[in-house]
Amino acid sequence: MIQNLKIVPVDEKADRDLLERIADWCDRFTPLVALDQPQGLLLDITGVAHLFGGEEKMLSFVRARIAVQGLAVQGAIAGTCLAARALARHADGVIAPPGENARVLAPLPVAALDYSEDVMRALRRAGLKTIAQVEARGRAELASRFGASFVTRLDVMLGAEEKPLAPRRALPDFRAEQRFAEPVVTKEVIAASLHALAASLSGMLEREGQGLRLLEAFFFRADGKVDRISVKTGTPLRNADVMLRLLDERLDALADPLDPGFGFDVIRLEASVTEKNQTITASLDDDENSRWQIAFLVDRLAARFGEHRVQRFVAQDTHIPEAQSIAVPAQDRDFEGTWIRRRKESDPPLRPLRLLEKPEEISVPVSGVPEGAPVRFRWRRAQFDVARVEGPERIAMEWWKKEKPTRDYFRVETRDGQRFWLYRDGLYRETGLHPRWYMQGIFA
Amino acid sequence: MTYAELAVTTNFSFLRGASHPWELVERAAELGLAAIGIADRNSLAGVVRAHEAWKKLKTNELPKLLIGARLVFRDGTPDILAYPKDRKAYARLCRLLSIGKLRAPKGECLLDLADLKKYSRGLLLIVMPPANPEDAKPILASLGAGVWLAASMLYTGEDRRHLKRLKQVAREARVPLIAVNDVLYHDPTERDLQDVVTCIREHVTLREAGKRLEANAERHLKAPGEMARLFRACPEAIGETLRFAQAIHFTLSELGQRYPREPVPRGKTPDGHLRDLTEDGLTRRYPDGVPAKVKELAEKELRFIANRKIAHYFLTVHDIVAFARSRGILCQGRGSAANSVVCYALHVTSVDPMEIDVLFERFLSTERTEPPDIDVDFEHERREEVIQYVYQRYGHRRAALTATVIRYRPRSAIREAGKVFGLSEDVTGKLASTVWGHYGEGLSDDQIRQGEQDPHNRLVKRAVMFADRLIGFPRHLSQHVGGFVLTRDKLDWTVPIGPAAMEDRYFIEWDKDDLDTLKIMKVDVLALGMLTCIRKAFALIRAHENVKDESLTLAMKPTDPSVYDMLCNADAVGVFQVESRAQMNMLPRLRPREFYDLVVEVAIVRPGPIQGGMVHPYLKRRANPSLIKFPSPHPDHGPPDELYELLKKTKGVPLFQEQAMRLAIVAAQFSPDEANGLRRAMATFRHVGTIGTFQEKFIGRMIARGYEKEFAQACFEQIKGFGSYGFPESHAASFALLVYVSAWIKKHHPAAFAAALLNSQPMGFYAPAEIVRCARDHQVKVLAPDAAYSHWDSTLERDAEGKLCLRLGLRQIDGFGDADAQTIMDNRGFGYRDFADFARRTGLPKRALVILAEADALRGFGLDRREGLWAVRRLPDDRPLPLFDRISAPDQGPEHIAPLPQLPLGEHVLADYQTIRLSLKGYPTQFLRSCLDEDGIASCQSVGTLTDGAFVRCAGIVLVRQRPGEGTAIFITLSDETGICNVVVWARTFDRFRKEVMGARLLLVEGRVQKSPEGVVHLMAERMIDRSSDLRLLSGDALPPAAPAHHPRDVRVLPPSRDFH
Repeated sequence: MIQNLKIVPVDEKADRDLLERIADWCDRFTPLVALDQPQGLLLDITGVAHLFGGEEKMLSFVRARIAVQGLAVQGAIAGTCLAARALARHADGVIAPPGENARVLAPLPVAALDYSEDVMRALRRAGLKTIAQVEARGRAELASRFGASFVTRLDVMLGAEEKPLAPRRALPDFRAEQRFAEPVVTKEVIAASLHALAASLSGMLEREGQGLRLLEAFFFRADGKVDRISVKTGTPLRNADVMLRLLDERLDALADPLDPGFGFDVIRLEASVTEKNQTITASLDDDENSRWQIAFLVDRLAARFGEHRVQRFVAQDTHIPEAQSIAVPAQDRDFEGTWIRRRKESDPPLRPLRLLEKPEEISVPVSGVPEGAPVRFRWRRAQFDVARVEGPERIAMEWWKKEKPTRDYFRVETRDGQRFWLYRDGLYRETGLHPRWYMQGIFA
Repeated sequence: MTYAELAVTTNFSFLRGASHPWELVERAAELGLAAIGIADRNSLAGVVRAHEAWKKLKTNELPKLLIGARLVFRDGTPDILAYPKDRKAYARLCRLLSIGKLRAPKGECLLDLADLKKYSRGLLLIVMPPANPEDAKPILASLGAGVWLAASMLYTGEDRRHLKRLKQVAREARVPLIAVNDVLYHDPTERDLQDVVTCIREHVTLREAGKRLEANAERHLKAPGEMARLFRACPEAIGETLRFAQAIHFTLSELGQRYPREPVPRGKTPDGHLRDLTEDGLTRRYPDGVPAKVKELAEKELRFIANRKIAHYFLTVHDIVAFARSRGILCQGRGSAANSVVCYALHVTSVDPMEIDVLFERFLSTERTEPPDIDVDFEHERREEVIQYVYQRYGHRRAALTATVIRYRPRSAIREAGKVFGLSEDVTGKLASTVWGHYGEGLSDDQIRQGEQDPHNRLVKRAVMFADRLIGFPRHLSQHVGGFVLTRDKLDWTVPIGPAAMEDRYFIEWDKDDLDTLKIMKVDVLALGMLTCIRKAFALIRAHENVKDESLTLAMKPTDPSVYDMLCNADAVGVFQVESRAQMNMLPRLRPREFYDLVVEVAIVRPGPIQGGMVHPYLKRRANPSLIKFPSPHPDHGPPDELYELLKKTKGVPLFQEQAMRLAIVAAQFSPDEANGLRRAMATFRHVGTIGTFQEKFIGRMIARGYEKEFAQACFEQIKGFGSYGFPESHAASFALLVYVSAWIKKHHPAAFAAALLNSQPMGFYAPAEIVRCARDHQVKVLAPDAAYSHWDSTLERDAEGKLCLRLGLRQIDGFGDADAQTIMDNRGFGYRDFADFARRTGLPKRALVILAEADALRGFGLDRREGLWAVRRLPDDRPLPLFDRISAPDQGPEHIAPLPQLPLGEHVLADYQTIRLSLKGYPTQFLRSCLDEDGIASCQSVGTLTDGAFVRCAGIVLVRQRPGEGTAIFITLSDETGICNVVVWARTFDRFRKEVMGARLLLVEGRVQKSPEGVVHLMAERMIDRSSDLRLLSGDALPPAAPAHHPRDVRVLPPSRDFH
């Protein structure tokens, strides 16, 4: 048992990102950097080492520079990638002189061969623990057991020839950019440029079957300032017109309007967040259409007023009235909940659509016992006479949280025709004859 | 005003109801209900419990108990409560449920409305209201007469509106409306438990449960006045409940059993046939003439059997046993009715009534109200043949297994309750792991701390509290291992039958206690590993040794002194019953010299005698007969020798279950009813509350009659200890016979005994390693499993000097299949030339060959573990296509290669343990010895040479951990290359070192040596340290944590390495 051991879950993506960043940073040593996933980098230093004062100095320099960044590092140099990898993993800091791979690798454990786990295990089980011991067996003996490719691997590892490095490749992304010879200033030109960029971005998305959830526009001013504007959408989007209208809404709503100053020399549109999206076929279904229109309206409103200002209610699975729904940003789709309607359309609603922020205490001088509704009550300094009543609906609170009294809810209609949703906090047998009453909502 | 509640769900609607049937029935009586109707979800599993509770009610105004079921349909029909009016309608209900169960997987029931219509005659039906009352119309219209529409007032907020609509629907359909409260628990305070079981059922936490839970706590049994108030708008619905209850005339008391006719030949009466069989059997048992005493007893028993009309029962048992004997399947009966002259004559038992007083008289006198009970043990590997015979003879609709109600035990309760409160699996797992075995009472604060949890943590506390309440709740029904109910008529006219998990196996919805309550007889067809072992040993002895066939029988005379000598030395590994640590401790103290001593030995190391403090008095009196005296009452209250007859055979100390029960009747003057209640109370642990009242009565009356208080208290402690694990004398006698027979084999044929034990695994307390070690201690030469020589089973062979050796079978190799072993045996002929020949002729898949090589089982071909693997590796890959038949595959030429590096002995031993769980080459600890020596740790053997009271540190592999019953001591057996060391841990110490005791594979124990006058050496543990990590030194590799094993026998010293297979 290790005390105070901190456990962090693996985050493969973050590891990969970090590796990429270190690879980028290694550009300063050689342009030929390859990722050796998941934890290694291969640097081709052919003809470079002398710049750093020779291989030995270069190796310690690179190691030191990476170590300073707080990373544990192992490294080695050899004539081939395979040998260098093996040394870096099993003989940190070793440099294999040209043509001496076999000698340098000999004492390494068989794991350094980095062949299939099954073969490694078989070698260990046979008592062959080092590369030297494996190398000493007959080639036919090995080939008949582990196949010709294993023998080839062994020879390559110990030899001097192999294939060159595969250089790194940039990730495909969705980005459209226009550069101007002369900085542009006029609204019309900017608009035309955005139009063209939106069309080309839309085309890219279409080809890849993607839709964007976050659209970003970058305006690079001639003087070096960059304005960045972003728009979120509720559904994956690839329609150029819609993109433009959302951008317009956003630009219109800016507190500081976009100022070209001496003009923009680059304008760029980026789909920063995308997701898979089936090609939208025009639907004849009205419902479908109206759903799209609502989604578009939500996007526009959110672009204009901010995404947290446009909200929708999501049903929650609970009996507790004040917790029955929560409001979330309308574009956010991480929240799901289903509104269940068990009752017939013709039945009057059991609860009001919206509840008071907080239940408000009312005074009830007269009510029926044991569970009758109030006959008369005062709320916000007004007196109400109850004409009709239905209930009670008995709702017990969640006992595993804080113990709270059970409530009896009533739907009441006053003489004036107003309809309210009231409750008594606690049953008579729990509270005695003077329970508290509350108003929780008003029926439309 | 009065009212009958007709919609009651008990906790036998698993994870739906939150109250036991008896709680509901008792509450109904308290509330003064006119009737209570139990209607569980497509099941009658809980009705007998309700019936039993109902019969016990003492109130003047008894509520009527209605037996029914809540039919839940798969076709969208609303739930319907069905109550049979009479016995015939009840049969139809059973049939209906059986049909639904038979078409569903185990534990479910699939019904359509059409099924109900087919069987609805005589059933009174209550249609539960659908969410939309109008939906009930077509169903009401289609069901005809005898139908009610239910209405409930559950505070939904629109109860009155709903009621009005239901009234309308009922009026239109011309059916009466009937009030129900759709009860899920007896008291509103059970709402929280109801929520918890709902969460368990839905696999959610309380936080996630939402509307799956009930909105309020209204679904409890309500008083008539309250129901009348709720239904004031419709009082006729209340009146209707009474009318409904009055229309029903069925109670479970009407059920009786009619025994199958088959075993009685045409033209004979059952009694006559039994008499003939008995007389015939006795002449064969006593070829030199039946002793007069036996004759007389047999006559008495036959008369009694005729009186009670239970000859059928004996004939059925005889029929089954006769079948087994005709197939050469060993079997032996036990149970209250088994130790009779009749059963001896019928070959159901082998205990000679001349050797030991037969006990049938006890059965005659005490269990008058109980159905007779005979359990028959069969060889565990061949019991299936017997079961198939029963099915074949009586048919699936007349023979079925009884059920076992699987209940929440502390482990499962804390696990599930923890989940509901959102505790993670490792937290609940840790809490559960501190519970020893399956039985026990709730979790103590200390145990919670042992589980590395804070007992004051609110969530943990809550989870534990609910776990406590959940303990004893039925969880699901499972088939009993072998209890058969046989009937003359269709069984599913009496109780619903459903399929078991095993194909073609069916079981009823009632368990043993239910059947007892209803006085329905059953025959237990049980499996006993030792019988398999004995038969296999007999077969090996016949084949390899020169022994007369007749002497190889269960009925051998239990008189050989050398066998008793061996047992007195506690040399009992593998011997039936007495191989446990506690028994082995007792053997040198009790020093059995004759058969009855074995009977006592078997019975005395049980929770009852131990808790009652009866062990020491018995041993003392055995050593010094002058101490024998019989407790007696004050002369005013009874004769001074009233207990003499009862206790004379056990030297005045009650040891057997029925002695304790008889004490209640004789010394405490319990009425038969009271005695019965006492027996029930001690069998059902949830009834803990009721045992207190018996305690007062029992002790109070004995003291009043002039017995010593200490004696009375000890007797009652003993009764409590018996619980459900008491041993009646009859069981002990049957078992003692097997003790003798197995000990005899061990003594005289140790090689055959070890082979038979190994071939009968899994059974017994000990792992193969221990069995093999013990055989070697008995001078048996043991040979390793080898592909060149071994069979699947372990066998006997003669070595060059003609000495009998034990050859381990290929079955000892983990992961090696019996089909592959069969292939090896089939192709062996006069032997394999070499490994290439072996591989070619057997054509075994490479995987199998690898397993053999890893187990070092290719030595017969001159290949050790490494060389074997290297050779297997060279073989071409498996080719499944017949086109490339192995015969036509080109032979690889012989290969001449340099030798591979030698595998060190330590690694060989380690690999042996990893593949066959034992090693004949050495012992893991011998390679650690130098490092143990450095730490000043003594070897196991040297512990025995120390003086009493010496302090010592000793380490060894943990072979066995045992905690007998509810004993205060835990026994651990440590072993190393020098021998074994018996460690005793007192409960107090155990509580501190629970983790080490439960988890360590290599354990270091510090403590003091204790030597008894009989020479028994114990190490009394004071401190323990888990040294399992030392084993790592052998492998040079980290050991994976040990997987939890359910039986000590399955615990692996070394888990399989990641390197293997």
